[in-house]
Amino acid sequence: MHAYTDKIREIARRLLSENRVDVVIGYRRGTVPFMNEPYLAKTPEQADRLHWDGFCGVNLANYLPRRTDRVGIVAKGCDSRNMVVQILENQIPRDHLYIIGAPCKGMLDRKKIAAELQGKEALTAEENDGKIQIQGKGFQVDLDRQAFLQENCAICIHRNPVIYDELAGDLVTEQMDVDRYADVRQVEAMTSEERWNHFDQLIHPCIRCYACRNACPQCYCPTCFVDESTPQWVGKTVDPTDTRTFHFLRAYHLAGRCTDCGACERACPVGIKVRQFTKKLEKDVLDLFGYEVGLSLEDRPPLDTFKPEDPESFIM
Amino acid sequence: MADWEPRIVAFLCNWCSYGGADLAGVSRLQYPANIRIIRVPCSGRINPKFILAALRHGVDGVWVSGCHPGDCHYIEGNYYARRKFGLLKGLLEHMGIEPGRIQFSWISSAEATKFAETARTVVDRVKAIGPARHFIKRQAEVA
Amino acid sequence: MSEIFVDKDGLKKSIERLMEHCRVVGPVFRGQYHEFAQLKEVGELDLTYRNTRLSPKDLFHPHSDRMFTYTLAKDDPEAGILKEAPQDYSPRVVLGIRPCDARAFQLDDTNFVTEEFKDPWWVKRRESTTLVGLACNEPCGTCFCTTVGTGPFDEAGLDVLLVDVGDGYMARPVTEKGHRLLAEAGLTSPAPAEVKKKAEDLQKSAEQGLGKLFSVDAIAGQNSLELFNASFWDEVQFACINCGTCTFLCPTCWCFDIQDEVCGDKGDRLRLWDSCMFPLFTHHGSGHNPRSQKLQRVRQRFMHKLKYYQDKYHQGVACVGCGRCVQHCPVNIDIRQVAQLMSASCIC
Repeated sequence: MHAYTDKIREIARRLLSENRVDVVIGYRRGTVPFMNEPYLAKTPEQADRLHWDGFCGVNLANYLPRRTDRVGIVAKGCDSRNMVVQILENQIPRDHLYIIGAPCKGMLDRKKIAAELQGKEALTAEENDGKIQIQGKGFQVDLDRQAFLQENCAICIHRNPVIYDELAGDLVTEQMDVDRYADVRQVEAMTSEERWNHFDQLIHPCIRCYACRNACPQCYCPTCFVDESTPQWVGKTVDPTDTRTFHFLRAYHLAGRCTDCGACERACPVGIKVRQFTKKLEKDVLDLFGYEVGLSLEDRPPLDTFKPEDPESFIM
Repeated sequence: MADWEPRIVAFLCNWCSYGGADLAGVSRLQYPANIRIIRVPCSGRINPKFILAALRHGVDGVWVSGCHPGDCHYIEGNYYARRKFGLLKGLLEHMGIEPGRIQFSWISSAEATKFAETARTVVDRVKAIGPARHFIKRQAEVA
Repeated sequence: MSEIFVDKDGLKKSIERLMEHCRVVGPVFRGQYHEFAQLKEVGELDLTYRNTRLSPKDLFHPHSDRMFTYTLAKDDPEAGILKEAPQDYSPRVVLGIRPCDARAFQLDDTNFVTEEFKDPWWVKRRESTTLVGLACNEPCGTCFCTTVGTGPFDEAGLDVLLVDVGDGYMARPVTEKGHRLLAEAGLTSPAPAEVKKKAEDLQKSAEQGLGKLFSVDAIAGQNSLELFNASFWDEVQFACINCGTCTFLCPTCWCFDIQDEVCGDKGDRLRLWDSCMFPLFTHHGSGHNPRSQKLQRVRQRFMHKLKYYQDKYHQGVACVGCGRCVQHCPVNIDIRQVAQLMSASCIC
């Protein structure tokens, strides 16, 4: 992981000093354990602040739409897939990007780690040889990194960047034989009433802060449906029907666009597993149209194309 | 409950299914009066928000109907719509909306008999499920 | 001061006594974190908690608050007349609130209770509530209360302060309301000298660990326009995703929006939390938006808390150092660092 930091800095310095790009978007070390902050380096000197470890979960593609300058950007597998979607949707031209690929072994889940610590507060966290070494007041623990991956990372099958101009490290082995949809099938096995209650429980804590929406690199509409007022599609209180409408429409807007990068779930301040909505769509898109999001710059997004023989068993 | 009659919103494409409804009427074909028709230019024009808005207003069923694949007035609108609707229905039912609450069909402007038959099927299915209970926006449930 | 000592079982019994004739709210563990909720039984109360995920401002300023109801029925002579929605303003005890959060309510008072205007919902809830604080023996690494003028044992916003001294609690009544509550709860045995000493030691060690991270006065001394135009905002704002996490978790963010919801011929006027992080917050009817850019919104949040509030009210910053925004910002924007930038003498 530390090797990545050096390599990313070196690439960024080079790109900026050779004027290949105007800015480099990466991460800098966070001020609290388990967090890094997205950072925009504008000079070769600032490039030395860039940092990499297992807490780079924020999806940097989120900072691309509407940029007009030439951008160097650090990209994990999922970030790069989101960039593919943005390129396909004309949010950013490919030739404005210099993608520094960061083959990824999964990002760490700060909520899972916090739960494991049972109220004890971590003051520092370092990664070493597949371990997370955590220190707090009067305690020290080593956790096995593999057991504390973000849920989406644990089932990720595209850890290597899909598109890149240069790599910050060797490509990693992709995970095989991963059951990506076990949780979706679990819900599918329920009756309608059980499903309704399941999702009621799931979104009950929602405070409508829209962190899930705003953390998503694919949510770039100039006016979100939440903010539309003529007509107003959804109320803004924490009324369960309105909250459900919000989560439903947010997810549906990501149909065929979501890469399951986990940014939404990671951002939620009250710990709602919002991927439960988008994963169903992801599964259906794969089942119905055989499409995996963000893998190719050639194929049109699934809702922007069709085949005459598309499945229509649901039509009477 | 015995005399409960469902209210069903039907989004019909202007060129085919709405024509089918028109012909059914002109031909004096009988179909249940539970259907409230909203005419849209094309099934591709139906924003999923429309369907959700109907549910939030408390309808017991939503029926969407357009031209047969290959017959779209705008050549391919219904092909796009078909992809959208498949995912929409999947997600709605995944979240607990009963299968049958939302239904889709292709009916041409010549198929008056099919229109009347489908209307009967839609109503029967919704009646079998019972009145809508979910996704209805009422007075805000807040403090 | 007449400190009182009560052992842990004794406190439970007293709470049960209070629960018989008033609502008791306290920190309970629900799902993944602690939150303030009305106790159904005393066993739910968890006074070993560090802090709640959401601030307790919800108790006085709920996320969605029904202010008025009305009818639009044509034949109703009262159609269109707003009627205050019934709310429960019966006596309530909030137990185990952190001193910083209680202090936050005093800061919020400057907004809701002024010479000219008194927000009836806020005022009635404040008046019906007795705040029993729980001193922070072990502040979190993200806490900076002492830097912003409050502290882990600050009594300023409380009616009673509880200190966990190991085998029991020392209770110190701060206000008349607090005295009355302790009497009602049947807490009368005076705290022995060693308990008071222990509490003092705990206070010292808690305060020592916190230190001072930046100077509030230095920010007050800065020129507003220079701060406004400072170049560091560009760097501060970059990572922000404009979600409402910081403002919704913050105990001193009081901004709200008022919306009408009509259902059939019945209507509600609702007050909802709003956030200066949302572009819609400042969007004019004309279409113009004075804070259309992220930089402007991020700057507004920090300037309001740390500079404008100081300049306007002369009672410190509108931040109590609870650290919630630091802990939960999805992109790690840290108010402590921003405040350091703002207080630095050279801001170029």
